[in-house]
Amino acid sequence: MFHQSKIIILLGGFSWLASSSAVGQPVDELFKTLAQTGPQASGSADAQQASDTLMTHGVEILPELLAAMDTTNIVAANWYRTVYQIIVRRELSKQKPQFPVTELRACARDAQHQGRVRRLALALLDEIDPAFRNELLRHMLDDAEFRHDAVKLVLDTGNQAQMANQSELAREKYHQALRHARKSEQVTRAVDLLRSMGEEVRIIDQMGFVTRWYLLGPFDAPNTSGFDTVFPPENETNVDATYDGQNGQTLHWTLTETPDRMGQLNLIQLIAATKEAVGYAYAELDSPTEQTVQIRCGADDNLSVWVNGEKVFARQQWLNGTRLDRFTATANLKKGRNQVLVKICQGPQHVNPSVPNNWSMQLRFCDETGRGIRLTNLLPSLTKSD
Amino acid sequence: MLQPQHYMTRLVLPIVFWFGITLASRSILAENWPGWRGPQRCGVSTAKNIPTQWSATEGIAWKKELPGSGIASPIIWDDKVLVTAADGQKNDELHLICLDRKDGKELWHLRLWGTSPTRYHSTKGSMASPTPVTDGDRVYAFFSTGDVFAVDLDGHLCWHRSLATEYGSFENRFSATSSPLLYRDLVVIQCDHFGDSYVVAVDKTTGVDRWRVERPETWVSWSSPQLARVNDSGAYELVLCSSEKIDGLDPETGRQLWTLRGMQRECIPTPVLGHQLILAVSGPRGTTFAFRPGGRGDITESHVVWQTNRGAPYVPSGILVGDYYYLTTDQGIANCFAAQTGKRVWQKRLPGSYTASPIAADGKIFFTNDQGETVVVQADVPKYQELAHNPLNEPVVASSAIGSGHIYMRTLRHLLAIDGSAK
Repeated sequence: MFHQSKIIILLGGFSWLASSSAVGQPVDELFKTLAQTGPQASGSADAQQASDTLMTHGVEILPELLAAMDTTNIVAANWYRTVYQIIVRRELSKQKPQFPVTELRACARDAQHQGRVRRLALALLDEIDPAFRNELLRHMLDDAEFRHDAVKLVLDTGNQAQMANQSELAREKYHQALRHARKSEQVTRAVDLLRSMGEEVRIIDQMGFVTRWYLLGPFDAPNTSGFDTVFPPENETNVDATYDGQNGQTLHWTLTETPDRMGQLNLIQLIAATKEAVGYAYAELDSPTEQTVQIRCGADDNLSVWVNGEKVFARQQWLNGTRLDRFTATANLKKGRNQVLVKICQGPQHVNPSVPNNWSMQLRFCDETGRGIRLTNLLPSLTKSD
Repeated sequence: MLQPQHYMTRLVLPIVFWFGITLASRSILAENWPGWRGPQRCGVSTAKNIPTQWSATEGIAWKKELPGSGIASPIIWDDKVLVTAADGQKNDELHLICLDRKDGKELWHLRLWGTSPTRYHSTKGSMASPTPVTDGDRVYAFFSTGDVFAVDLDGHLCWHRSLATEYGSFENRFSATSSPLLYRDLVVIQCDHFGDSYVVAVDKTTGVDRWRVERPETWVSWSSPQLARVNDSGAYELVLCSSEKIDGLDPETGRQLWTLRGMQRECIPTPVLGHQLILAVSGPRGTTFAFRPGGRGDITESHVVWQTNRGAPYVPSGILVGDYYYLTTDQGIANCFAAQTGKRVWQKRLPGSYTASPIAADGKIFFTNDQGETVVVQADVPKYQELAHNPLNEPVVASSAIGSGHIYMRTLRHLLAIDGSAK
C-alpha cells in the first residue's frame, strides 16, 4: 500500500508538471503551439495549456494575437480568438481600460489582413472608440471586406440629406452608392431612391444581366436525368432548327426579353409549366475587347453554361431557388461576337406539395468585384426603342 | 384517463429498454435535456410538473435575447442552459452561449469562426441548425459551416475540427441540420449533403476520427442519427435515415449491419424508438416505417412490422408516448397511431403550420407551430383531448427542451424559460 501511495504521488506530480508545462514559456513559443493545431484536432491538448497561459497576459499581446489570427488555418485562428476574447473581456471590465487603439485601427484599415480579423478589431473599436467606424468606412467603398458597410453609410447619408431637403447632396450620395454597391439589395435600394427623386436607372445595365435570349424547350427529361443527357442544341446551336420535345410537341427557338428588373427568366411562363424537363437559352454578345470576365449565375433547378462552345460552368443540384450570384465562373470573351448557351434543368415536383416547382435562371457578366460589364446583345431587338 | 403511476409503467419502461446509452450513467436524469430531442433523442422527458398554460405575458420565468439566427434546440444540464447561434455578414460568426438556468443570466459566451457557410432557408435555417450535445463535462457543438467544437462547461475550448477543411465544404441549400449523437466515448455526426456524404465518429476526448464511413450514394438529407438497442443481444445500432433508405451501422466501428429501402429522396425527421420498434418517417407521400432492429443485410421485407403512407410530415419528427405514435404534417394535420400496429386512432387539424418537433412530458404533448402557438394535448389516450392553447406572439421553428419543471422555447430572436406560473 505504501508503494501504491508513492506511485500515486509520482503520477500526480507528473500530471501537475504536464499540465503546467506551458507556464513560463515565452509568448512566441506559446503562439507556435497554437499555430500547430490543425486536422484531426492535432495539437489540441498542448493548445489548451498554451492558451490558458496566454490568457494570463494583458492587452500588450492583442496586436500579436490579431496578426496570428491572420492565417488560413481556421483551427489555429479560433484558438487565438479564444485567448483574445478573455483578455479583451477582462480589460473591458476595468474602470479605465487601456487598449492599443493605434494598432487596432491599423488592423481594421489594412486590406492585407483577412476580413474576419479586421472585423474583430473593428468590433472592439466600436466599444472603445465608436467614432472610428464611420471614419474608416468613408474610405472603404472599394474595399472587399467593408464595401457593403460603406455603401450603407453612403445611403444613410443620402437619406439624411433628403430629410434635410438637400436634394442635390442626396442624389449625389445615391449615385455614389450605386457605383460602388455589389449586393442586389443595395443596388435596388439606390435605384429605388433615385426613382423616388424622378430619376430612372436600369439595374440591368448596372449589374450586367443578360435579358434577351432565344429560348427552347421543354425537352423530356424524366426524374433527374436531364443534367447528364445531351440534347441536340449542345452539339449544334441553330436558332432556325426544330426539335422533338416533351409530350410529342415540336420545339422552336423563341426570342424573348425578360421584363424582370433583376434579369430573372421565369421559364414556367416563358417556356412551359412543366416538370422533369430541360430548356435552353442562347444569346450572342459583343465584347469591345478580348477579356476575361466573371459569369455569375443561378437557376432553379440547375444550369450549365457554354461560352463559344466551351463549357465554363455546370453544377448538378436540385430544388434550389434562383438566387443572385449563386455561382461564379470565369470565361474568356473574344473581341466581337461571343456565343452563350445555357442549359436549365427542371426536376420533379418536391415531396412537399406546398413547395412550388419553379423553373428559372439568371445570368450576368461582371468583373471580379461584381461590377456589371456592359456587353451589347446582338440578338434581334423586340422593342422599337432598341 | 391514465393515472400518473401508469405513465411510469407504460412510458418509462419501454424507453428504458430502448434508448441508446449515449451518456455516462449520472447523466440519465429526468431533469436534463442533453441533446437533440432529449435524453433518448425521442422528444420525451420523464420530468414532472411541466406547465400546461402560458402566454406571451404570463408564465414566462425569463426571456433572453439571442444574437443572429439559429434553429438549434437549447440543451439543459443541471443549472446550465446551452444554445448556439450564428451571424455575421458572411454567416461565419458562430456563438456558443451558456446561461444560468434559473434566471437566464449569461455565464459565458464563446465566439468562434466557421469555415464554410452554406446556403440556408431564410427563416427555417441557419449556420446554427444542429443541436449541440453534452455529457456533463463538455458540450459538443456542430455547426452547418462544417465545424465541430468541444468546449468544457466553463467555456474553454478543448478541440476544434474543421470537417469542411478536411473533407470538403458542405453543399446544402437549407443548411446542414443533423445533430450530433453521443455514444460512449464517441461523437457521431451524419454529414449528408450534395457533395460527398459521410458519417464520422470522433473520439470525444481528443477529437480524432475513430471511424468514418463514406456514403457517396447518399443524397442531401437533414435527419439526425438515432441509437437503438437490440433487446435480445443488448447491442446498439446506429440508425441513419437518409436518401431512399435507412442504414443500421455498428456504432463501435461504422460497419454496415442492415439497410431498409423505401424512404423518400430527402429525409428530415429523426426516427424514434418504442415497443422494440424503430419508427422512421420519410416525408409527405412517403412511407412511415415501424420496424425491428437487429437484422442483417436488406431488411426491407423481413423486419417491417407495419407501415403507412398517411400523415407524414416533411420537417417535424414524430413522437411516441406510451402506446401511441404521433405525427404532425407541416400543414398541421395531426395523426395518432397505435404504436404497435399502425392503426390510426385519431386525426385532428391543429392551428397553423409546423416546423418544430413535438415534445412530451408529464402526460402531455406540446405541439408548437411556426406562429409560436403551442397546443397541449393529453398524451397516451385513444382520443384527441386538448388541454391548452398557448399563444406566444413570436415565431417558433426550433424544437423546445424540457428540464427542471420548465419548457425552454427558442423563438426567432429569444430563448424563453416557461414555468407557467402566474405573475
